[in-house]
Amino acid sequence: MTLSPQTRQQLRRFRSLRRGYWSFIALIAITIAALLAEWIAGHRALLVHYRGHWYVPVYGAIHPGRDFGLPYEYETDYRALQARFRSTHSGNWLVMPPVPYGPNEDCYLGQSYQPRPPSAAERHFLGTDQLNRDILARLLYGLRNCLVFALGYLVFVYAIAIALGCAMGYFGGTFDLFSQRLIEIWSLLPFLLVVIIVRASLPEGTHFGLGLLLAIVVVFGWTSLTYYVRTVTYREKARDYVAAAQVQGAGTARIIFRHILPNVLSLLVTFLPFTAAAAISSLTALDYLGFGLPPPMPSWGELLREGTANLDAPWIVASAFTALSVVLILITFVGEAIREAFDPKKFTFYR
Amino acid sequence: MKYGSIPVLLLLALAGCSKSGPSAPSSAPGSSNWPGMEADLERSIKAEPNYYVFKTPADFDRDTKGLKWEDGSDLPPFADPNAKRGGTLNEWLPDFPNTLRTLGPDSNGGFRSLLLDYMALALIDYHPDLPGRCYPELAEAWAADPARKMVFFRLDPDARWSDGVPVTADDFVFTFYMQRSKIVNDPWWNDFMAKTFSGITVYDSHHFAISVVDLRPDYIYRAGNFFPYPKHFFKDFGPGWEQRYNWRVTPTAGAYTILPGDLKQQVSVTLTHVPHWWAENRKFMKGRFNPEKLREIVVHDPDKAFEEFVHGDIDIFSLNDTHLWYDRLSNTSPTVEDGFTVKATAYHQIPPPDFGLWINESKPILSNHDVRLGIQYATDFALACREYFRGDAVQQQTANDGYGWDINPQVHPRPFDPQKARAAFARAGFTVQGPDGILMNAQGQRLSFTITNNYRRYNDLLTILKQQAVMAGLEFNIDTPDSTTAFEICEQKRHEIAFVAFQRTVEMFPRYWEYADGENAYDVPYLPDGSPNPKRKPKPDTNNLTCIAIPALDRIIHAYDHTTTMEQLKPLAAQAEMMIWEDAGWVPGFKLLAYHVGYRPWIKWPSDFAPMQALDFEQYWTMWIDPDEQKADVAAHAAGRDLPKQILVYPEHKEP
Repeated sequence: MTLSPQTRQQLRRFRSLRRGYWSFIALIAITIAALLAEWIAGHRALLVHYRGHWYVPVYGAIHPGRDFGLPYEYETDYRALQARFRSTHSGNWLVMPPVPYGPNEDCYLGQSYQPRPPSAAERHFLGTDQLNRDILARLLYGLRNCLVFALGYLVFVYAIAIALGCAMGYFGGTFDLFSQRLIEIWSLLPFLLVVIIVRASLPEGTHFGLGLLLAIVVVFGWTSLTYYVRTVTYREKARDYVAAAQVQGAGTARIIFRHILPNVLSLLVTFLPFTAAAAISSLTALDYLGFGLPPPMPSWGELLREGTANLDAPWIVASAFTALSVVLILITFVGEAIREAFDPKKFTFYR
Repeated sequence: MKYGSIPVLLLLALAGCSKSGPSAPSSAPGSSNWPGMEADLERSIKAEPNYYVFKTPADFDRDTKGLKWEDGSDLPPFADPNAKRGGTLNEWLPDFPNTLRTLGPDSNGGFRSLLLDYMALALIDYHPDLPGRCYPELAEAWAADPARKMVFFRLDPDARWSDGVPVTADDFVFTFYMQRSKIVNDPWWNDFMAKTFSGITVYDSHHFAISVVDLRPDYIYRAGNFFPYPKHFFKDFGPGWEQRYNWRVTPTAGAYTILPGDLKQQVSVTLTHVPHWWAENRKFMKGRFNPEKLREIVVHDPDKAFEEFVHGDIDIFSLNDTHLWYDRLSNTSPTVEDGFTVKATAYHQIPPPDFGLWINESKPILSNHDVRLGIQYATDFALACREYFRGDAVQQQTANDGYGWDINPQVHPRPFDPQKARAAFARAGFTVQGPDGILMNAQGQRLSFTITNNYRRYNDLLTILKQQAVMAGLEFNIDTPDSTTAFEICEQKRHEIAFVAFQRTVEMFPRYWEYADGENAYDVPYLPDGSPNPKRKPKPDTNNLTCIAIPALDRIIHAYDHTTTMEQLKPLAAQAEMMIWEDAGWVPGFKLLAYHVGYRPWIKWPSDFAPMQALDFEQYWTMWIDPDEQKADVAAHAAGRDLPKQILVYPEHKEP
């Protein structure tokens, strides 16, 4: 892939903005950690050596207890198995992740449900919540949900915004006028109420999960970006190079995609981190209000809500709040750096 | 912002239109030709001479000849006669009331208990310490005539409304008229009146009889537990009365009324003790309704209300939430340590709300009895009771616990047992365990069901059930829409499994028809030969959420509903209970045996805290305020001095 000299210039500029650049690196690291969450926190063993056979239970189908000589059909309790291996000295062994707890796992099954403070000895580095679940595991897997959600949100919102925004800006006139009114009406609908109504009118058997939630948030999230794209397209359309392309006989699609869109790109890239932050915030807000992901899916909003209701267990709210703040601040730093790096005024000849 | 407010205003205007428009049902006469309440009442009485019967005082003696009169004088009082009157009790309300009416639209809110349920006086009421026995409220004495299905009443001659007007038989006639009329716009009452009463016979202003439709074992209570409304106050009753009476304070025969100016919109409502209350020294009223004022502060957020309670702005707080009781207000929290907050646990014996999993048998896989049986064994309510409620709750034994007699001693909830659950699922064809540990049948259908949860606060509880069910190869998906939507889904029978409970009142015997009769499960439940109708559709808007429909059970319920004595009724109840258990459509959930309350040390209680069948700490208003102690305690607390730490348990009414 060859990059245009301008883009290379912009990337160089981005790398030179230290705060944004290191935030970007940190964000990438966090993303990788979330993607590899099973290797950091999980109730499944990473590797089991049992009677000369090797097992990698961390991915794929569950191993029922009887696979390892235990008298039950449900998934093996690997921590108990590890203790058993150690006590019997049978030559079998297994490796657990550094945090040997899953996000939905009751770590103190059979004991009372109440938050327990952080304890390095128990490997609950951030403590447990009121259902005896490890908070670090829930944060990590919750982050993964957030990122998947944000990615889906970006793809759909950008697709809608580019398609409609460019069309509005380029064609203008009646189409633009009507689309503007549509957007105005649409953006005035009370979002939360619509979430409630959509949930109430779901056909039987529909599972309310990440996909449906994403669809609802996208349906209400595309308007502002569309407005921006429309404005920039409007501006670009009036430029001489577009007129030149028209005179040369270029078709509408060619003008939009080959000539206008690359010039709108800097705006789109600049908005990318802020849109991602908006997606994470709205998912967290919905979860906090109880209209988000169904329990027991790990989510930051739910953890925040639990934390604010359990101020006597401050480690819950502190973990959730810190995690959310850090990620949103990192994204904002990256966003600022991108905006500065892609600022067209920086490289213009008319300074 | 300026433009944003336009649609809001429009909406308000629209809402305003719909309210000021004709809101009376179409059958009601329009306001223009409405003759007035008195004339319409007169017309109704003339139209139904067999329902509203008027006789002479001489007839009363004749009609009641040979009947045994009761007046509750053989029963002990249940409050503390040494309770002190006076003081102000500060409580909280989660919402400002929508209306001060206790009939008609929107009148069924939480505030109604402070106007009607816990406050107003009926003719008679159940004695809360002696199940099945009644004590007098407005009645002086009563006599039952089972042959004519009538209960005769002598009104207490001193009974007065709070505006000084005497309570008379006219008020009862008016209340019958009002609650049966379509104009009242309250279908529940219309239905209740039609099902319960078949007429009222008036002899004079203080002597009358109420006729009941069915001679059930509790017909005396049903006839007499009836709240009258003051006729003279409802002279403006007619089409559209709901709006006119929204904020008028109905005179009460009870102890508390709302004085002008004590209704502060969205802020608070204050109830004040009626001066020289007529029933002040009656045997069953003495020692009750003691505070001079009840100040109800509106706090929308329960967490904030709790903080206000700890701070001292609210005097008394229900602490039934396990987390509140054990963690946030633990026995070592500062406000308990310094004695400013007293923690009390009181046992009671009431029919608990029937929390549990309601399995919809009209759904394809759930219609299989073995699948339902498996779900019973795969649901670990016992763990939830033990660890989530920390032992405060136990699992319900039957679908109808708490009626004062063991309905069927052979019926117990099935224990959590993954092995038995898997065996049952295997019989239903679910034999293969999928890669996620969930069982599948030969067609590849997963053993996965959605629980429609009606209570957001119990998400954690269902998460525990979900986690345990996986051990049996069963997956529960938890769906928690807002509570209105959730109940709508259940009432439309669109759920697979519902987690919900119906509130029950203290009664002598349970109801089966609503919850278990085939008529309430499907439109046409059976074919003429009694076999299930293959084309049947679940019937919406009934309480039979399991869609259980068994002809044999229907016959038992029918017989049950026509019993007249408890001796006839009990064996039928035992049979019905056994069939419901065998059907396995309802997984028995939890019940709390006691309630927790936190309060200030100057609030005093009778030696048993509250009567045995009290739903909560304030149903019978038996607490009082000690003004001297209040002064001393407040002074000590302000000065930073500790008061004695008090964590109290009242086991008097614990079930043996």
